[in-house]
Amino acid sequence: MIRNYIKIAFRNLNRNKLYSTINIGGFALGLSACILIMFYVTHEKSYDTFHEDSKRIFNVFAKTNISGDVIRMNSLSSVAAKMIEDKDPNVSSAIKIKTEYNPVIIKNPENQSQFSETDLVYTDSNFFNFFSFKLINGNPETALERPYSIILSENLAKKYFGETNPIGRNLSLRIDSTYTFTVTGISEETPSNSSIKTDLIVSASSLNTMKEAFYDMRSQIFQGGSFQTFVKLKDPEKVAPVQRSMNALAVQGHEESTDEYFLTNITDIHLLSRESTNVKYVKIFSLVALLILLLALINYISLSTARAGTRAKEIGVRKMNGASQRSVAVQFFLESAVYVFISFLLAILFTILLKPWFFSLVGIQIDSSFFFDPGFISTMVGILVLTIFIAGLYPAIILSSYQPIETLKGNFGNRKNGAQLRQVFTIFQFVVAVGLIISGIVIHQQINHLRTLDTGLSRTDVLMVPLQNTMDNSQSVFREEVENLPGVRKIAAASLPMYGGTNMYFVDDKNSDGQIPLPILATDHEFIDALDIEWSIPLQDENIATKKNSVIINEATINKLHLNPNPIGEIIVFGNSQYEVVGVVKDFYYDSPNNEIGALAMFVSPSKEFSMDFGEKSSCLFIKFRANANVSSIIKDIEGLYKKYDTENAFEYQFMDEAFDALFRSEMRLAKVLNVFIGLIVLISGMGLFGYATFSAQERKKEIGVRKVLGAKVTQITYLLSVDFLKLVMVAILIASPIAWYVMQQWLQGFENRTVLEWWIFAFAGTGSILIALATISYQSVKAAVANPVKSLRTE
Amino acid sequence: MIQLDHIYKWVKSGGRRVFLLNDLSLHIEKGEFLSIMGTSGSGKSTLLNVVAMLDGFDEGEYYFEGEAIHDLKAKKRTSIFNENIGFIFQAYHLLDELTVYENIETPLLYKKVKSSERKALVADILDKFNIVGKKDLFPHQLSGGQQQLVGIARALIIKPKLILADEPTGNLNSTQSDEIMKLFKELNEEGVTIIQATHSENNAAYGSRTIKLLDGSISKN
Ligand SMILES: Nc1ncnc2c1ncn2[C@@H]1O[C@H](COP(=O)(O)OP(=O)(O)O)[C@@H](O)[C@H]1O
Ligand SMILES: [Mg+2]
Repeated sequence: MIRNYIKIAFRNLNRNKLYSTINIGGFALGLSACILIMFYVTHEKSYDTFHEDSKRIFNVFAKTNISGDVIRMNSLSSVAAKMIEDKDPNVSSAIKIKTEYNPVIIKNPENQSQFSETDLVYTDSNFFNFFSFKLINGNPETALERPYSIILSENLAKKYFGETNPIGRNLSLRIDSTYTFTVTGISEETPSNSSIKTDLIVSASSLNTMKEAFYDMRSQIFQGGSFQTFVKLKDPEKVAPVQRSMNALAVQGHEESTDEYFLTNITDIHLLSRESTNVKYVKIFSLVALLILLLALINYISLSTARAGTRAKEIGVRKMNGASQRSVAVQFFLESAVYVFISFLLAILFTILLKPWFFSLVGIQIDSSFFFDPGFISTMVGILVLTIFIAGLYPAIILSSYQPIETLKGNFGNRKNGAQLRQVFTIFQFVVAVGLIISGIVIHQQINHLRTLDTGLSRTDVLMVPLQNTMDNSQSVFREEVENLPGVRKIAAASLPMYGGTNMYFVDDKNSDGQIPLPILATDHEFIDALDIEWSIPLQDENIATKKNSVIINEATINKLHLNPNPIGEIIVFGNSQYEVVGVVKDFYYDSPNNEIGALAMFVSPSKEFSMDFGEKSSCLFIKFRANANVSSIIKDIEGLYKKYDTENAFEYQFMDEAFDALFRSEMRLAKVLNVFIGLIVLISGMGLFGYATFSAQERKKEIGVRKVLGAKVTQITYLLSVDFLKLVMVAILIASPIAWYVMQQWLQGFENRTVLEWWIFAFAGTGSILIALATISYQSVKAAVANPVKSLRTE
Repeated sequence: MIQLDHIYKWVKSGGRRVFLLNDLSLHIEKGEFLSIMGTSGSGKSTLLNVVAMLDGFDEGEYYFEGEAIHDLKAKKRTSIFNENIGFIFQAYHLLDELTVYENIETPLLYKKVKSSERKALVADILDKFNIVGKKDLFPHQLSGGQQQLVGIARALIIKPKLILADEPTGNLNSTQSDEIMKLFKELNEEGVTIIQATHSENNAAYGSRTIKLLDGSISKN
């Protein structure tokens, strides 16, 4: 019997190709989008869970109070890990990790090949005990014991040593000075869901004798520092006592310490990390995945029930031939299972095809082993079973209960039956579609608004080229040669690129004993002019800016430091030095426009002396092109010059406007991903509507036939068939608009600079969805309207 | 075999009863071939459905082989129907997505007849109705007469004691119609009780007895 049912299921599938394509194809598409998003979300949530002791491993961070500003410290002094391990018996072990963010030049002395790498990690010898990272080669107990030991990932080992065995061989690392390290192990590649990168691991004991680490290693008390610190607790519930122990340790080291220490479970670090927008993403994407799945499911169920209505006769016949209610129910569940199963297989195929594209879209890498995660698989099976159940439920329970004689007499009213449900479904689908279209437009508008924001300085046609200390004394020669390139209009320099953060100095507060953190920027004297920064109170005389102990501030600084409204001549105390305010510039965004413009102090040096004078390790050139310049050829020229003066570090550059745009990278990515999903949701809704229109036209075939015989025109019939659907879409627009307005208004609150929600956005989304709906249903309506009435009446 | 005593069936329309069956009494003996005639709307289908227990009635008594149907639960009635009665429709009502063979086999599947026995039974009846060559075709590939043959074969496959046929030849031409009637006659001679509703005097003549319905009552000529 079951074989018989499955056979029939396939015959139905084949006989109703349109229906099958819409139903199964649409469901598979939605499902595969949902699977992809679930990969992403599950992956994000799985960060650092692969550590066996992940529940017991905590990251230490501190909140410290600097003249009223609470600052979060993610790193502690070098001795902190050891101290808390010794002090509190709840801590079974502790470890410190320092990451080198600057590029490190690595050479294999045997063949002189040379590479620049980032994210080198210094850590203690219990690293492989503490975490669950694995060594492919080498002894995990001892590999990090001796100073100047280095562990490479498999890929890096291949890169430096080819196919030969790297264990025991030497590498020279140029950090600032150059050191020779011995390879003591090969590690597995870092799992994609690890927040600790383990491609290059170096023994922390090396730091004792490295001069670059002098400041990192200096503090001998429990306080902030350079080391990310982890503790493993015997009992994960003992967070509070350990936090208390740490606060006590801090007071022991420094009596007035008000630092507060906290523990965060390692599995929460990734989603909580401040600069990551992961949490936001994960939430929005989960919602979108849910909506897509829901819409696809609704489509599936709506179409299944619509079709089930047309199968009432079959059920009647079967019952007349001895079928019990139960066997009819079983048949429909089985059919549902067959279709859902096919949808799943198709969805898996779509997923495999779309995976690389989607991952690059959201900008992530996911290990393929992740796809076999038991949690993930069980979720999928859950959805499978649920879908089979829901999709089979209506025909199985409702239809199977009808009296056969009723269904055969044709008294069975398809139209009454489930029609209301389908209307609700259709409205819901279009509410989602219209709502998302509106949101998509608003997000797009907001990004545009930010990108075109007047930030108080001109960022077009400006190239930023960071210079490393490896260029040393040649910096000014390089600068001169770049300036002489045709197409270069102006050139300026600063200690840092724009939009990448600033350095902080502490200055005395005029009104109290406290200190105030003040962002600073060292520039050459061309900087303000080259970037069209406007003066609020200009310099009295051109040369005054470059005078020793002069400082230029922005307007925000006046408030922050409680200076006079005209602060010219006022003194700002930086540590032991006093600086006199000689000019005030209008506020400009030197950081993200999502934050208020902060205070800024600028120290100006003569251009020629800029690099040497300020003694910065590195700096950044700002090269302004002429409007008509051939940019790519100039960049090539600059690169040539760069390579002449810096043989070690790679040439890097970034356009200033692109750097600015990159501040909204997560919003842009959100917009891109949303665009795709909005498209998909519109497609799914359209497919649903198309299917609905198809069945409605079929159901009303007889009515249409009669009306035509009575003289109705094609246009009248088309109108008759379309108007019901359009009403549903209108209702959806009316429901969706205020919801979308409210949600987007909330979203915009997260921005300092926001676009205005204009009425045309809603009008556009509404008209757009009406047009989509019209296009979708008109095919069926016209087809039904022009059909020969005699034919449709005869077949009834 | 069938005994209907003073059957009333009505529907309410505007507060008034409209009688579909009106004080109808009818006795049918085993082995009879009864033709029910009457104009369209006279209640032939209604009567057949009541006899088939597919439809209820409001007043009166109905005994099927001594069993008081009016006192039985729906489930029991369904099972009596499934065990004893084969129903043939004017519109054939074959399952479109099943082949001829599968259509005929369906009632056996629901009765959970073993596979080997099923095959034998279906093969027998295909042979008897001369449609072996059509067994793998789908209903839409058959003529109306052939479809009705399949419908009859399907009704007969469970070897019912009683066949109810509601205008079985209503959609057929006279040649096809005569063939079906001859088949009924043969079946009747083999001992199957048959009740058919028909418009045609010609068809009615195949039966052993004819009654005429008028507004839900048997009219006495
Ligand atoms: N459920 C019902 N409600 C109201 N009237 C009905 C219903 N079923 C049948 N009728 C009416 O009962 C009468 C008899 O119908 P039917 O038995 O189908 O007649 P026949 O088969 O002889 O043409 C008709 O007038 C029909 O309109
Ligand atoms: Mg009738």
